[in-house]
Amino acid sequence: MESVFINKLKPLLDAISEKIELYVPKKAGEHYVYNRYDAAVATEVELNNIRPCTPIKEFLQPGCELASISTGPAEPDIKPFAVFGLKDCDLRSIAVLDKVFLDEEFKDPFYEARRESMFIISSDCFEPGESCFCNIMDGEPFAQSGFDLNISKVNEGFIVEAGSEKGKDFIEKHPSLFTDVSKALLSERDENRAKTQKQLEENNSKLKFDTPIKEIVENSEESEVYDDEVKTCIECQACTRICPTCHCFYLYDVKQKDYFAKMKMWDSCMRMAYATVAGGANPHKILGDRMKHRLMHKFVYFLDRYGLNMCVGCGRCVDADAGGIDLREILKRLSKEVKVSK
Amino acid sequence: MSKNPYHPINGEIIDIIDESPTIKTFVVVPEEEFKFKTGQFVELTLPGEGEAPFTPSSSPAETKQMDISIMKAGRMTGLLHECKKGQEVGIRGPYGNGYPVDDFVGKEVYIVGGGVGLAPIRSLFLTLVDKIKDFKSVVCRYGARTPADFIYKKTLFGAWQEIKGVDIKLTVDEAKDGWDGNVGVVTTILSEKDVNIKNSVAVVCGPPIMMKFATLKLLEFGFPASKIYLSMEKNMSCGIGKCGHCMIGKYYVCKEGPVFTYDQIKNYPKIWA
Repeated sequence: MESVFINKLKPLLDAISEKIELYVPKKAGEHYVYNRYDAAVATEVELNNIRPCTPIKEFLQPGCELASISTGPAEPDIKPFAVFGLKDCDLRSIAVLDKVFLDEEFKDPFYEARRESMFIISSDCFEPGESCFCNIMDGEPFAQSGFDLNISKVNEGFIVEAGSEKGKDFIEKHPSLFTDVSKALLSERDENRAKTQKQLEENNSKLKFDTPIKEIVENSEESEVYDDEVKTCIECQACTRICPTCHCFYLYDVKQKDYFAKMKMWDSCMRMAYATVAGGANPHKILGDRMKHRLMHKFVYFLDRYGLNMCVGCGRCVDADAGGIDLREILKRLSKEVKVSK
Repeated sequence: MSKNPYHPINGEIIDIIDESPTIKTFVVVPEEEFKFKTGQFVELTLPGEGEAPFTPSSSPAETKQMDISIMKAGRMTGLLHECKKGQEVGIRGPYGNGYPVDDFVGKEVYIVGGGVGLAPIRSLFLTLVDKIKDFKSVVCRYGARTPADFIYKKTLFGAWQEIKGVDIKLTVDEAKDGWDGNVGVVTTILSEKDVNIKNSVAVVCGPPIMMKFATLKLLEFGFPASKIYLSMEKNMSCGIGKCGHCMIGKYYVCKEGPVFTYDQIKNYPKIWA
């Protein structure tokens, strides 16, 4: 689609935030977290080199929300909003969530309303993080699809590409912001992208397996690796909470003075009682079995069901794991077992 | 905007029947007409307290009210057992696939049940006997812990036994109260001569351990795994294939189940847990 050029990000963000709320990544320690953008006080915004620390699912499926109220069906009341600074892994995580929550038979009206109200401005990665392994999970360090606008940093400024009708419409409505983009700038962008791709390839060379990851995990049913890996797990569930594709939730009922309500709250398959039924039976009583189920869901079951990997290789779970458990190391260990059994 | 699938319709408990020391049947009248297929389940809400999945035990032909038989097993079922007539409830659903009754036409239907597993089976049974001529026969083998633990006693020991084309045999784990029938788990009253396996389907519903051993027995008899229909019990919260809890492999039990052929799920881990 159409690409244009802009010198600075501030005028672009100011224009977006003129009509709708805009969230931008802001450095917090060594990570980026989303903050409300305030055009009145903002100076030039720094483009995040990698994905923000928090997952984009927070904007689409909040940690806790009202799902139903006894005084009448709860209806989503969502105002249009924009999020800036998503990376390819974030965009692909939205594609995963779409499969679940926009399923034709039963759509989640709250997710649907937020999804339709969200204006997405993604950007290229230019310095992969230590834990990034998107290139192993069908990813690229630049947006492939699923964005309204994408930003690529080049020497003199930024290339802005429209990825949807909404994005195209924005560019057309703000002609004074942009200038034409030269062929030289486009090839500079392509060179930058290739450079980051190469760096990712180098960082993750040891994650290139002979056997597809699906097969590696599928064949790990009897593996003792899971029980061994969870020895340092403190069951904090951070891995699933911070994962941009983990979407499990549970419904619970509350009693207020004047009404009853159903709330929808994030859940985690790493939680002991996650799959327990009345009477106490629990297929995942053992922590190692819960870890196994988590990997099976991500790399096998979701792929079988929806044709998509449920891991986007963002590495957030690696960064967040308080017990030092590293998904990449688990995959490496499991891959060695496949070789032994062959 | 799509319809809110998390919002229940209102209903009222108009009658409560004590079936056994641990099981009660609640007769629920939904505010709106409520249609379901036999074997499908509903999410029953006790307002402000919680909700849990149950398969109605009444015939789907009855659309004005439904029976829900509930065993006291945990927090929600405990609260439901304390309810009185007139209690307001919420109903979401129906969810899941239900029994493929049309595929059973012309066949012998071999039903194996245990404990509260008779609840969904009663709905199926009533559906089958409603058109009993469509089926070669309906053969039921059902076990309870003690004679007092049988549910639907009046019809189970009476009217159902009289229906032409129906063959019912019962067993208890522990003989009490003058029981002179078979003693032993349900697999002890299964025989390969019960039905002509080549023209039969088997339906199994009950506690996981019973389902496991009944399935193994049926396989031993020569039933193909694709002809053994199992009602799987898993933790189901949303009922619409999103919340994740009920997964067996790639399947959501709440969506592609709760009725699966053994063939569909046999290779996945921990199906009986």
